Amino acid sequence: MRKSLAKQALNADTNAPAMGRFVGQSVKRVEDQRLLTGNGTYVADVNPEEVVHASFFRSPYAHAEILSIDLAAGLALDGVIAIYTGKDIERLTNPFAPLASLANQYTPVFYGLATDRVRHVGDPIAIIIATSRCIAEDAAELIDVDYKPLATVTNHREANDPTIPAIWPKNDSNVLYEDEKIYGEIERVFARADHVFTETFSCHRVSNQPMETRGAVAEIDPDSGEITYHAATQSPHLLRWILAISTERESVVESLKYLATNRDRLKKFGAGAKAFLTEKKDDLAKNDSTASTNQIKKDPSTLAHLGRTFFNTLGSRRYPRVVAKDVGGAFGSKGAVNREDVVLLAAALDLNRSVKWIEDRSENLADGGQAREEDMTISVAAKDDGTILGFRVELVMDQGAYPAVPFNCGLFSNMIKAMLPGPYRLEAFEMKMKVVASNKGRYLQYRGPWANETWVRERMLDIVARELAISPTELRQKNMFGPEHLPGKMVTGPDLDEDMTAAATLAKAIEVADLPAFEVAQAEALTIGRHLGIGFATYHEAAPGPDNFWESVNPGSDAFLPERVDAVLGRDGSVSIKTQQLPHGQSHETTYSQLAADELGIAIKDVTLVYGDTDNTPFGLLGTGGSRGGPVGGGGVTFSSRQLRRLILDEAADLMEASVDDLDIIDGKIHVRGVPALSKTFADVARAVTSRGQAASTANAIETHVVYSNAGNGGWACSTHVCWVDVDLETGFVTIPRYVVVEDCGQMINPAIVEGQIRGGVAQGIGAVFYEKTVYDESANFQSSTFMDYLIPTAMEIPEIEIFHLETPASVEADFRGVGEGGMIGSPPAINNAVENALAHLGVRITEQHLPPTRILELAGVIEAE
Amino acid sequence: MANSVTQRAGHAENLANKPGGRDQAAKICKGLGVKNPPFAYHRPETLDEALLLLAQIGEEAKIMSGGQSLLPVMAIRLGQPENIIDISQIRGLDSIETESDIVMFGALVTHSQAEASPVTRDSVPLLHKAMPYIGHRAIRNRGTLCGSLAHADPAAELPAVALALDAELIAASTDGARFIAAEDFFSGFLSTTLQQNELLVGVRFHQAPAGMLTSVQELSRRHGDFALVGLTCVLQLSSDGLVDSAALSFFGVASTPSRATQAEQSLVGSRPTTELFEEIANMVSNELDPPSDTHASANYRKHAAGVLTKRALADCMSQTGVLT
Ligand SMILES: Cc1cc2nc3c(=O)[nH]c(=O)nc-3n(C[C@H](O)[C@H](O)[C@H](O)COP(=O)(O)OP(=O)(O)OC[C@H]3O[C@@H](n4cnc5c(N)ncnc54)[C@H](O)[C@@H]3O)c2cc1C
Repeated sequence: MRKSLAKQALNADTNAPAMGRFVGQSVKRVEDQRLLTGNGTYVADVNPEEVVHASFFRSPYAHAEILSIDLAAGLALDGVIAIYTGKDIERLTNPFAPLASLANQYTPVFYGLATDRVRHVGDPIAIIIATSRCIAEDAAELIDVDYKPLATVTNHREANDPTIPAIWPKNDSNVLYEDEKIYGEIERVFARADHVFTETFSCHRVSNQPMETRGAVAEIDPDSGEITYHAATQSPHLLRWILAISTERESVVESLKYLATNRDRLKKFGAGAKAFLTEKKDDLAKNDSTASTNQIKKDPSTLAHLGRTFFNTLGSRRYPRVVAKDVGGAFGSKGAVNREDVVLLAAALDLNRSVKWIEDRSENLADGGQAREEDMTISVAAKDDGTILGFRVELVMDQGAYPAVPFNCGLFSNMIKAMLPGPYRLEAFEMKMKVVASNKGRYLQYRGPWANETWVRERMLDIVARELAISPTELRQKNMFGPEHLPGKMVTGPDLDEDMTAAATLAKAIEVADLPAFEVAQAEALTIGRHLGIGFATYHEAAPGPDNFWESVNPGSDAFLPERVDAVLGRDGSVSIKTQQLPHGQSHETTYSQLAADELGIAIKDVTLVYGDTDNTPFGLLGTGGSRGGPVGGGGVTFSSRQLRRLILDEAADLMEASVDDLDIIDGKIHVRGVPALSKTFADVARAVTSRGQAASTANAIETHVVYSNAGNGGWACSTHVCWVDVDLETGFVTIPRYVVVEDCGQMINPAIVEGQIRGGVAQGIGAVFYEKTVYDESANFQSSTFMDYLIPTAMEIPEIEIFHLETPASVEADFRGVGEGGMIGSPPAINNAVENALAHLGVRITEQHLPPTRILELAGVIEAE
Repeated sequence: MANSVTQRAGHAENLANKPGGRDQAAKICKGLGVKNPPFAYHRPETLDEALLLLAQIGEEAKIMSGGQSLLPVMAIRLGQPENIIDISQIRGLDSIETESDIVMFGALVTHSQAEASPVTRDSVPLLHKAMPYIGHRAIRNRGTLCGSLAHADPAAELPAVALALDAELIAASTDGARFIAAEDFFSGFLSTTLQQNELLVGVRFHQAPAGMLTSVQELSRRHGDFALVGLTCVLQLSSDGLVDSAALSFFGVASTPSRATQAEQSLVGSRPTTELFEEIANMVSNELDPPSDTHASANYRKHAAGVLTKRALADCMSQTGVLT
C-alpha cells in the first residue's frame, strides 16, 4: 500500500512539473538570516507575563536512600514561591510507566522527582519555584537532605554481580532485559569455519551535547486555565500526549463520567482509534501480546498505570498546546520526554501560573542524555579464503539509572541486532542482548542509536583481515552485497534493493584512497619514526529502510511510522506546508520549501513551513529523528504539494475555461501552456474557491494532505569513510591529514545541507574517539560536569572533510534517503582502524573506541598503564 | 567615589530600582548570566579607593580584573565571595612601561595587549611566545596578566613564565607596596602569598639579555585548553658555547608551576648536544611527580615532560643555528 502511493501519484499526475529548478541545488539556507542575526526564538526567549523560575535540586550522591528533606530554610528565603519534592509529585502526577515492553524486559516505573531514593548524581529531588532563577538556586543551597548512601553499580560487570543489590528492587537483579535471536544455522556455520576469531569491544559513554540545553516554559492562562507548553523538543505531539497523561489525575471513574457527558469527544477519539486499529491491524498483530507479562508480574502497578494512561488519553482535559519555535540542536536527546517536563507542568498547574526552566550545562551533562556505553563480544566464522560465514555476538548495554521515555535500551539493542550484519552476506547470525541498570545518567538515542553495530563489525573485519593476511578492503569487497547479489536480504530480515550501493561507495573510496601510493608513503614515513595509518568503514543505514525493516527490529512498531504532511492554499493565495517534523538544525525550512516550490512552480520564499505547534500541525509521535526528515517528511511534502497543485489547477481550469492538462504554473502564474500573457495567480484561485463558499476553513481556501512512508525502494543510505592518521608516538597525539566520505543518499535535495550534516556527524565521531567521554569514577561519582571536563572538539580539531557523492540515478520518485546520522556511524570505526593500521607493526590491537593521548601511548607500550 | 551597590546578580529589578543603578544592572547582568550567588559589587575609580575598600572588607572581598577565571568559578557556585571589587575602571594600570632594563606590565594589561606589544616581543620574548597558548582570542581580550598570576592556576602559562624569568610581582596595600619574587609567590594550588589586603598592581621582568634563547612547549587536549603538560624554557650560552644558565619551568605537573632544578643544574656548564638533551629529558621525567586526572595519567605527564624538554632545548638551539 505504501509503495503504491508513490507510484500512483506518479502515474496519476501527468501534469507533474519539470523538476529540478530548486531541488538538487545548494540553495542558501532560508533559516540563516533569522538565526545568524540573533532573531531566532528559542525557548529561553519565551517570557510570558508574570513568569516565575524553576531550578532543580539534584542529588550529589550516586545511590542513596532519602531519609528526610528539610525545606524550611529554602522556603523562608525571600522570593521563593514553592518547593515540591517527590512526595508532592506522587500526589500531583502519574508515574512514567512503560507504554510498551519487550518480552523479558523489566522497565522501572518512576516519578519525575526521586521519591524514596536517588539513583544517580543529578537525580532531581526537588523543584524550587522563585521569582528569579538566582533566588531559586540560592534556595537550592539551603535545602537539607539526610541521605543514607547505598552500594553503587558503576559498570556492567558490577551490574552482573548478584551480590550487589538491585537499584530497582522490584527487579531481582540489575539485569533489565535479556534476549537472544538466531538467524540461519549458526551451529553448522561455525562448525564449517576454518577459523573462528573472537574479540571483545568496549565503547565508552558519551553525551549528546546540543548548543541549546533542555528547557521549557509552562505557560498557564490563570483565567481560562489554558496550557501552552513551550519546549525545546524534537517531538511536540509526543510531548503533549505524555504531559497530558502524566498530569491528569482524575480517577478512572471520573474519566468515565466525563466521557459519558462528553460523547462527542469519545466518538471522535473512538473513530480515530478505530480507523488506526483497522488500518494497522496487520502491523499491530505482529506485536508480541505476551510481552508485557514479565513487566506486570514484576510490578503489578504497571497494569493500573497503563489502565489510567488509556483512560487519561481518552478523557484528559489537560492536553496542553505544545509550541516549539527554534530549537538549538538535540542529536536525539530532545526526542525523549524529560522527567523535568512533567514536574514543571505539575508545579505550574498547582500554582496556576507560568513557570520557566532553562537547564544549565552541568545539568545537561549529568542527565541531558548519554549514550553508546556498551560492550560487545563478537566471534567471526571465516574460511581460509576470507569468506565470512557468520557472526556470534553478545551485547551488554548500560542503560544508567532511569530508562529514557519513550525509547530505551531494549529498543536500541534490537536496532543493533538488526543492523550488525551490515551490507555483508552472512549465512548465519546469533545475537545475545542484555541491558543492565547502573547509577548513571539516562542512556538515550544519540545520532545513530545503533551506531556501535558498525563500529564493532568494521573494527572486527580489519582484525580478521590482519589475521588472514588479506587486505581489509579486499575482505570487505569479497563479502559485501554487490549488484550481482541484489535484490537480496540481510540475514536479519530486511530487504535489500538494487539501490543499496554500499559496495559502490567502497569501490569509489578505494579508487580515491590510492592504497598502493599510501603504502609506499607509510613505509617511508616509518623509517623516520612517523606512524601513518589508513582505515576504512562501510555501512548501510535504514534511512528510512524498506517496508520490513522495523519488523526485524521489533515487530509491530512500524504502525507508527507513516507521516502526514499537509499542503495548504491560504485565502490570500499563500502556500503553506504543515509538518509534524520539528527542525533543530536540519534545515527543513529550506529543503521542504525547495520541494514544494518545484512542485508548485513558485519561489522558495513563497512557501511557508508550519511546524512546532500541536494546534496547527498534523499529528505524529516521531517528530524529527531517525533520518526520516528527507525521505519521509520530504517525500510527503513532494506528494502533498503535488496534490495541492492539482487542486489549484482544477480550480484554475474552471476559471480560465481551459483544460487542466493544458495548464502550467511558472513563477506562481497559472497560464495555458504557450500563452503566458493570460494568467491567473494563486490569489485568484483562492478568491474563486472562497467566493463559492467552498473554502476549506476560515484561514484557508484549499487544504490537502498525504500520509506517506517511503519512496518504495529500500530506503538505504550507504557510505564508506576513509580516514588517514599520523600518530605521534612521543606525545600520543593523532592528527588526521585526510578524511574522505563517499556517500549515496539517493537524490540530494540540497548538496550543501547534505554535506553539512555529514561533516557534523564526522566531527562528533572524531569527538567520541579523541575528546568526548562522560566519566564516572569507581563509586559512580560524576566527573564530567563542565566543558573543561567534557571536551567537545572545536573547528580547530576537525580536519577538512572531502565528500564524494554517488547519487545513483533514482529508480523511484522522491528517492531521498536520510543523511542526518550516517556521519557519526562511519567515523569512529574508520578512525580506530586507521590508528590500528598505523601501529600494527607494534602489535597493537584496538578494542576500545576512546583513544586520548594517554591511551595511545599505553597501547603502543611507550608508557605503562596505571 | 566608590560606587558600591548590593545586588543579587541577574535580578536586574533590584538594582535598577536603586539610584543610578540601571546602567550597572544592565552591564552586570549581561556579563554574569543569571546564576551567580548574591554579592556586593564595588567599582572603585582609583587605586587608593580600591586599597581602602580591600582594607575595610578584608577576607570577604575578591578582586576582579578580567573576570575570565573568577566569573566561571562563581557561575558554578564554587566561589561565593560576598564582595567583588572590580578594578577594571581604575586609570593608569593598563600600560606597559620600560625603565632601564625593567619592563613593567600594569595590573590591567590584557593578554592581547601584551601579545601585540613590540616591547613584549623584543624585551620579554618568552612571554610573547607563551601568549598564543592562553585560551582563545576572546579570553585574551579580557583576561589580564596579573589576574592570571594572582589566580595561580598550576596549568596556566604565565605563572611558569614568571618563574622562569625570575619576575617580580608588585603588591600594594594601604600600608604601601612591596615586590614579591615569583619563586616566593606561588604557594599552592590556586594560592599565593599575596595578603588579604593586597592587590597586584603590576608585574615586572628584566629585559632579555642579548643571546637569550627561549622556547614554550605545551600539550593540551584541544587548541586553547589548559595544558596537560607545558614547559617554558630559557637558555643562555657562554661565549665558548657551553650552557651558562638554564631555566626549565613547568606547568600542569604539580600544584604550582615548578622548575626542574636538578635537570637545570645538569645543563649548566655542559655542552649542548642531542645526547645531553636526551639525558636531561630522562632526568626531568624522573624528577617530576605529576598528578593523574581524567585528561592524562601521571605516567603520561612524566613522559611528555621529557619529550617537551627535548623539544624545547632543540628549539632553543635552533635559534643559534648550532646543535652538535
Ligand atoms: C575558556 C577559557 C580558557 C582559558 N584558557 C586558559 C589557558 O589556556 N591558559 C591560561 O593561562 N589561562 C586560561 N584562561 C584564564 C585566563 O587566562 C584568565 O584571563 C586569567 O586566568 C585570569 O585573568 P583575569 O584578568 O580574567 O582575572 P579574574 O578572573 O578577574 O580574576 C582571577 C583571580 O585573580 C584575582 N585577581 C585578579 N586580578 C587581581 C589583582 N590585580 N590583584 C590581586 N588579585 C587579582 C581575582 O580575585 C581572582 O581570584 C582561560 C579562561 C577561559 C574562560
